[in-house]
Amino acid sequence: MNLTAIPTTTTQGDAFIEMRDVSKHFGDFLAVDQLSMTVRRGEIVALLGRTGAGKSTVMSLSMGTIAPDRGTVRVGGVDPSREFDALRGKMAVAFQTDRLLPWRTAVENAELGLLVLNHSKSQAREAALHWLARVKLEGAEHKYVHELSGGMRQRVSLARALAVDPELIFLDEVFSQLDHVTSQVLRRDFSRIVREVGKTCVFVTHRIEDALDIADRIYVLDAPARVCLALSVSEQTRRDPRALADLHDQIAQAIGGDTESPGHDPNHSENQDPS
Amino acid sequence: MSQSARTASSVTPSRLGARAAARPAARPGRRRDLTALCVVSVLLILAMEVASRFVPPFIMPSPLVVGQAVLELLTSDWHHVSVTLLRLAAAVGFSMLLGVLIGLLMGTSRRLGPYLNSLVIIDTGIPALSWMLVAVFWFKDPEARIFFILTVILLPFYALNVYEGVRSMPKEWVDMMESFRPSRWQLMRYLVIPHIVQYVFMTTKSVIGYAIRMVIFAELVASAVGVGSRMSLAQSTFRIDYVLAWTFLLVVLNLVLQSLLNLVERHVLKWRAEAKVR
Repeated sequence: MNLTAIPTTTTQGDAFIEMRDVSKHFGDFLAVDQLSMTVRRGEIVALLGRTGAGKSTVMSLSMGTIAPDRGTVRVGGVDPSREFDALRGKMAVAFQTDRLLPWRTAVENAELGLLVLNHSKSQAREAALHWLARVKLEGAEHKYVHELSGGMRQRVSLARALAVDPELIFLDEVFSQLDHVTSQVLRRDFSRIVREVGKTCVFVTHRIEDALDIADRIYVLDAPARVCLALSVSEQTRRDPRALADLHDQIAQAIGGDTESPGHDPNHSENQDPS
Repeated sequence: MSQSARTASSVTPSRLGARAAARPAARPGRRRDLTALCVVSVLLILAMEVASRFVPPFIMPSPLVVGQAVLELLTSDWHHVSVTLLRLAAAVGFSMLLGVLIGLLMGTSRRLGPYLNSLVIIDTGIPALSWMLVAVFWFKDPEARIFFILTVILLPFYALNVYEGVRSMPKEWVDMMESFRPSRWQLMRYLVIPHIVQYVFMTTKSVIGYAIRMVIFAELVASAVGVGSRMSLAQSTFRIDYVLAWTFLLVVLNLVLQSLLNLVERHVLKWRAEAKVR
């Protein structure tokens, strides 16, 4: 078992996202409370917490779409909300709902980010086709959104995010609306691709199983968002059902109460090796 | 394609062929519409025939007489039809362009939006007849009068529907686009404008019949050329067969324009899944 409690912040120079004592209110509602955390380059970090814990707010703060009331947020060395355009093309997001534009085909959706980043039409198309193939959507490139299943739509959404070749990818509950099997297949495909291309990934989820399945590190958030537990998960841990079950229980306890994920069965984890 | 086929959970490409084969079968619905139209038309013609046997010809001529009048008009008055069509196309086209632009500004500009919204709302409260009378005072040229009348009447429909289209755009799509940090123009080009195309079609389909009625009315009061003026002439010379023949031709024109619009809409909005309601 490789269960390691780690500090929530680090002074290491390879930090890609650094949040220090960040607080955020929406009116009287405190969404984020003195949160500090670090995401290093090339790692997959899960932000795990109950619904309403402020995970998506933390993601929005990292993306720069909202600014903190207090504290500092640095992404790639810049303040993402103040220097919004400095991170153009360096980050991409896949959301809980696929957010595909229905008038565009799968490939046209996948190339959207590249067109916004002023790539030529041919370059964008080439990259989009490449990434659709990587997410196993050959043959569906020219289908409209309503002709695709939920899993296929999320694959297009992931291809759209990956196609811009971002340094940082945010996944906001991407797999949570899919059925258990599709979700598992998709997150393992995604994890494999992200590790192959060496991207940094922040993965927001409320499902413990999802986080344990692909994250290198897990920040467990309490409500209002603050880190109540930080853990690292190695490949060795993922192969050990007992270690995985212990980790699951520890996280569940930190979140508070019964948070058994739907379909989670630690005893079967050994047969579901993501590698 | 059935809902279950559309939302199949399989993510493997192997089932794509089967899914592609199951296309929505919209043709039977269209055939039903056409059949209903034919049946209603035949019933109306029969009603005309029956009525013509009980009342004098200057009240209700027989469909045969009206049919002959239609043939006469088609050979002798084609020029008037084409003038009316050109006026209609120019006014609808211009109203569409300006209305879409105003609707977009209403939906996206915090500074201009409220003022344009107020202007359009006030315009919707002004009766068409007021505009027609005002146009007679303001413009000497009949073409300018008709163009002005049609534009001020049609423009609010486009502006308000496009405005609603912009407002109804899912915030999720805007957030998705914003994640790529687009320019304002890119946001318009890739998101807002494609989204409002369906609203422009919907508006055009809604106003085309109204626009035909308005152009005829405007020609009636403001021009010596065009279908409206010919209908006025037919009324003043007690030719009810011509009045009915023009009416018939206008109904056919409306149906043809609606069909053409439907055809273009089906092509442009082919991405839309048609919902079947029981």
